[in-house]
Amino acid sequence: MKNKGIWSLNFSTIVIALIPIAVAINYLGKVIIETLKLPLWLDSIGTVISSMLAGPLIGAFTGLINNIIYGFTLSPISFVYAVTSVVIGLGVGIMAHKGWIASIGKAIVIGLVVGLLAAIVSTPLNMMFWEGTTGNIWGDAFYLYLASIGMPQWIASFGDSVVVDVPDKVITVLIGYLIYRSLPKNLIHLFKNNNEIEKL
Amino acid sequence: MEPIHLYTQRKSWISQIDPLSKLLFAFVSIFMTYLFSSITITCFVLLISIVLLMVARVLKKIVPLLAISFTLLLSIIIVQGLTHPTNETPLLTIGSIVFYQEGLTFAFLITLRVFNMLAAFGVLILTTKPDDLMESLMKQGMSPKISYVFLSVFQLIPQMRATLGKITDAQRSRGMETEGSLMIRIKAFFPLIGPVVLSSLNMTKERAIALEVRGFSSKGKKTFLIEEKSYFYPKFIKCVLVTLLIAAIVWRIVG
Repeated sequence: MKNKGIWSLNFSTIVIALIPIAVAINYLGKVIIETLKLPLWLDSIGTVISSMLAGPLIGAFTGLINNIIYGFTLSPISFVYAVTSVVIGLGVGIMAHKGWIASIGKAIVIGLVVGLLAAIVSTPLNMMFWEGTTGNIWGDAFYLYLASIGMPQWIASFGDSVVVDVPDKVITVLIGYLIYRSLPKNLIHLFKNNNEIEKL
Repeated sequence: MEPIHLYTQRKSWISQIDPLSKLLFAFVSIFMTYLFSSITITCFVLLISIVLLMVARVLKKIVPLLAISFTLLLSIIIVQGLTHPTNETPLLTIGSIVFYQEGLTFAFLITLRVFNMLAAFGVLILTTKPDDLMESLMKQGMSPKISYVFLSVFQLIPQMRATLGKITDAQRSRGMETEGSLMIRIKAFFPLIGPVVLSSLNMTKERAIALEVRGFSSKGKKTFLIEEKSYFYPKFIKCVLVTLLIAAIVWRIVG
């Protein structure tokens, strides 16, 4: 019962304890951004860290719970984007376990890939629920530009999502990576061989 | 510590309704508005949600939720008014910018749908204690572990927000600046998020031990500490909602 590979959905007690804490980190990231009035969202740092620590499935589950909690506490619109959060968790987790969390450069690549994935998943949702816009000023300005040069609606919508998601996810993954790297080794191993604590 | 959920305790017959019925209501209501591209039907569905909010005496509480979605709605109106593919009839001209009637009508429909999404979920989240919803879901066979994850977030966030306050004060007393130019504020991000993440991840071990000590992963049958609440005809309400949903789908296909 050591490391069972990245797809083992092992709901051991330590992982169960990690998920709510990761969701709370997401929330606090948002609080800090609001206190410092920074022009970013960065509301998935916890999801990224939990994917790096405990694998894609736990990361995905963290993302799902995160958006349900946001839906209950901030705005029901978050329920719509639960799928996007799940994909972020999966993407970071898979790439992390394939060895992409080795350097800052590679972490930026993870951020780019996950940002694009998030945009690919968000676009159909945006099209279905509100005809393609995201509600972000920069993204929607880009949508208007693309639509004005005669692009079809779904390309304009995808461009809109890319402008919103890619920079945000690159920075989020980068911050997640910097934090992950500075974590004490014993903490990281706690989640890697995650049956240790049950044998108390 | 201030709770983060939006539930407020009000005595009304909406709070007597089973949380799962309210969840089903939210889905059925939102589905209906997307099933029919008709402003009249969407208005009617929205009206039902608003009446339910009024009966539950939480109508005022929905206003902050609407405010959060304000930019989304504004951009929908501008973008669709200018660029919707079916745009033909100019309605309003400001300088060289032309708003079209088709796009604005469509934007109005989407705005109603978003309002209904907020109001219909509002019926659930403003009148249901998260604990009650989880209890109902567990009785339907959801794992208590998932319920633990969900509910502990509601406890953890206020607690960790207090920790964040302490960390902010500590870093400020060491000379960290939280106001000023963008660069200064970006620099302040790391001394805040770092200790928060480290202290909270350290907590996982303690929490896991605390859970295990209480037999969290024992295989035995779980029992409930809180006495079962009796809800207002849960099966009947769910049947009505499902019938309405099927009727609407049939009507959409046939009509």
